Amino acid sequence: MFFIDDLLLRALGVSLPGLDLIWTLEQIQRFAYKGYYNPEKIKNKIKETRLLYEFGELAREEYERKNSELMHKLELAKKFEEMDLGTRMDILG
Amino acid sequence: MVRRILRAERRAPEALGKYVYCVIRYPNEKKSFGDLGFDDGEVYTLDYRDLAPVVSDVAFRDYAVNEGEVEIHRRVVEQIMKEHSVIPVAYGMAFKSRKLLQIAMGAGYKAMQKALEVVEGRVELGIKVFLPRELENWDSAQRQDCSSDFLQNLLAISSDWKNLKLFSDRLILNSAFLVDKSALEEFSEQVGRLTTKYEELKVQYSGPWPAYNFVDIHILGGQRRGGFR
Repeated sequence: MFFIDDLLLRALGVSLPGLDLIWTLEQIQRFAYKGYYNPEKIKNKIKETRLLYEFGELAREEYERKNSELMHKLELAKKFEEMDLGTRMDILG
Repeated sequence: MVRRILRAERRAPEALGKYVYCVIRYPNEKKSFGDLGFDDGEVYTLDYRDLAPVVSDVAFRDYAVNEGEVEIHRRVVEQIMKEHSVIPVAYGMAFKSRKLLQIAMGAGYKAMQKALEVVEGRVELGIKVFLPRELENWDSAQRQDCSSDFLQNLLAISSDWKNLKLFSDRLILNSAFLVDKSALEEFSEQVGRLTTKYEELKVQYSGPWPAYNFVDIHILGGQRRGGFR
């Protein structure tokens, strides 16, 4: 089955308003994921949270809750990196 | 096949891996530091020429970052540091066999000898200077003046220093200092004076640590930072 990708159309100079919108939304979603699931930023946040706890700005329970949330987010971020959601695959062959 | 399995079972105790905590200068004979290791295993020295990896026998597995296990690693190294200068080893360095450990020691021998010269008789100390919420809006000049003041005063007493990552907007200084054990008291007094001078700021003074930030030997191409890996 021949599948005409929006990128191919774009390369040919053909612009379809519907596909353009989907493409733009995909880029926005991808950009948002990258910002939200950035492992370096999450690691910084984990260190900052630990420091806030050590300086007494966070109580033990609050620190443990935040730390566990961030560790979970870090796991997701690593998975997101491995999956590389920006890569497309034509599964229809 | 059955015979092969039986033979493997008989070899089982020797098949245990070696978890490495740090490397020290060989103390002329095998030394035991007690049952402080993972699974209450004995922590002891092996020998490689004039160096001694400090190890315990462990079932070979992957060491994921886990606060409890990192704490065991840290406590063992802290104990050894009381008597010896140590080349730190990153958490999670386990070898399938003594032979593989010897091969890694061979590959890193020269670098480790150099590292031992750097860390001999010295320890690492850490300083973090953090802005409290009410001073969060300090401008860059104020931040710069304060961190320079800390650095200038502390560099005079240390052998080396490393600027570490400022992982928070409120962190204005994050540095590690390599300090002679003989200058430890003087260094602490200076930190005390600076803490009093900047009493409105939050200062974290930590250590003594093994010199993780001053030894960086890559043997196995691992992702971890600091020490021998």
